[in-house]
Parts: sequence; structure tokens; C-alpha cells
Amino acid sequence: MQEATFLILTALADGSQHGYGIITDVQQISGGRVRLRAGTLYTALDRLRADGLIGVDREEVVDGRLRRYYRLTPAGTGRLAAEAARLQAHAAAALARLNLAGGMAT
Amino acid sequence: MTDQEHLERAYRRRLAWYPRAFRDEHGPEILAVLMAGARDGQRRPGLAGSADLIRSGLWLRLCPRAPRSVRAAVRLMCAGAVIPAVSLILSLVTLATARIVGGLVVTALWLWMARANGQGRNGARIFSVVLSGVVTLALAIELGLGGPGHVAGMTVPSLALSVLNWLIGLAAAGLLWLPASAAFFKQQDLAQAQAQHQAQMAARARPDRPGARWARQV
Repeated sequence: MQEATFLILTALADGSQHGYGIITDVQQISGGRVRLRAGTLYTALDRLRADGLIGVDREEVVDGRLRRYYRLTPAGTGRLAAEAARLQAHAAAALARLNLAGGMAT
Repeated sequence: MTDQEHLERAYRRRLAWYPRAFRDEHGPEILAVLMAGARDGQRRPGLAGSADLIRSGLWLRLCPRAPRSVRAAVRLMCAGAVIPAVSLILSLVTLATARIVGGLVVTALWLWMARANGQGRNGARIFSVVLSGVVTLALAIELGLGGPGHVAGMTVPSLALSVLNWLIGLAAAGLLWLPASAAFFKQQDLAQAQAQHQAQMAARARPDRPGARWARQV
């Protein structure tokens, strides 16, 4: 799973969000490192929707502008959980070996 | 016109790069995201912002709903188009007519294959494999029959580029026959057949519609 995809799914993990909400949330989760652009975001959202990992939650009009809220589907929740477990296992292995190698990871 | 209206109009023009169906469905919310992210007094989308919209729009036109393996093949085919496109531009400078035509044909062929395969047209998938085979054969004959002397006659960069383009084609064609790709092509074929059937039924139901006569004959 690409990092941007992982971060988008993470942004939706605890509730539905609209496009701009996802962008600001992804920026916060990544410590300001990943700033999604609108074109990239909607290409990813379209693909995730086609793959059945996210769905449209609801639509609102705020200040005359359309907001479409997206949420994880059960399949999306499963994929994100599996990917997070995989990354965690890798990170744990890396940290454990760094510790053995001379306590660099404190 | 205020700064905001000016910016919004510029963004709308960039959205024209998107496929119509996608723009109809997502245009208003993308515009909302773009305007929410605008700085105070911003009047132009900026180079990076424009590039992102144009790239995304073209990408969605190329392969709207394809699985990962097909998307990788489409990316390879776009990369494959770069070499003949550069050669085309170079031959425009030197005005070598045969090379201009060759460059145009090969670039167009790569881009057509990228688009048709991205949309899941099975004919394009078969064509890609056949073309890969023909190019393999042509390259083998050129290297084999010409002998070492002939290869020496070909400049090293042009030989390397031919081989690179051949490898890209081979890899792309290979990706199209993976199980995930095959399932996508099958599903798209089925969807197309269904759409055609429905169009025929609709034409039969309304004989006054154009196309009805054609549908009755089939």
C-alpha cells in the first residue's frame, strides 16, 4: 500500500471526513511532511471507492460549496488494520535489532 | 472580478483536463477543496497546482478503473512513448522526413495502447502481445542477420534505446496477462457487451430513434 493511500485511510479511521478535512488531517498525521494536492487526493479517493475500501457517507452544502464526506467500508477497515499490523511488525523488528546492535534506538 | 472569482475561473479551466463523467461527479467538491486551500489574494493556481490537476485529469482519462497491474502497464507504455517522442522532436529539428513519420507513428501507437489497455479493451491487450512479438523478431533479425558489423553500423545509443523500448513493451505486455489484469479485461468486455445489448434493446423499443433500423437488422 502506498503511503498516501495509507494516510488517507488513517484519516478516515475514526469518522467520516470531506476532501479538505482529509488533506489537513493527513498533513497533521504525517507531521507536516505529506501535503496532498486536490488532484492527487481525488484520483486516490476514486480508486479506493472502486476497490470498495471507502464509500460516500453524506453530502452537505457549506457557503454554497459542496462537501462530500467519505467513510471507511468494513473492507477498508480490514485493509487498514492489516497494513498497520504489518508496518508495526516491521518497525518492531527494526527497533529490536537496532537495540541489539548497540542501543541506538533508545 | 475579485481575486477569488479570478482564481476559481482558472481552476475550472484546469478541470477541463478531467473526463466529463468524473468532472460532473467530483468537479464541485474538487473546486471546493481547491478554494479552501487558496491563500489570501491568490489569483493563479500556481505551477505545481496546475501540474497536479492536469496530470490527474490525463491519468483518469487513461485508466479510470483499472487494477494495479494494468495501471503499471499503462505507466510503462507512457514511459515507452517518451523515447520515440524525443526522437520525433529531434527529427523535427533536423527535418528528417522519414524519422518524423516514424516517430509520430510509434509515439501514437504507444499512447493508443496505453489508453485502450487502461480502458480494458481486450483487442488492445492481444495487439500489445502481438506487437511485442513482432518487435522481438525484428530486433533479433536485425542483430542476427546484420552480424557484428551491422550492429557496429548502428550507433550504440540508438541500439540501446531500441532494446530499452523493446524491454518496456515486453514488461507491459507481460503485466497485462497477470490474473488480476485478465479479470479486469474480462469484466470490461462483459460490461461493454451488456451496454451494447441494452442500447439495442432501447433502440428496438423506440423505432423512431436514430439507430433503430441498424439495431433491427442485427
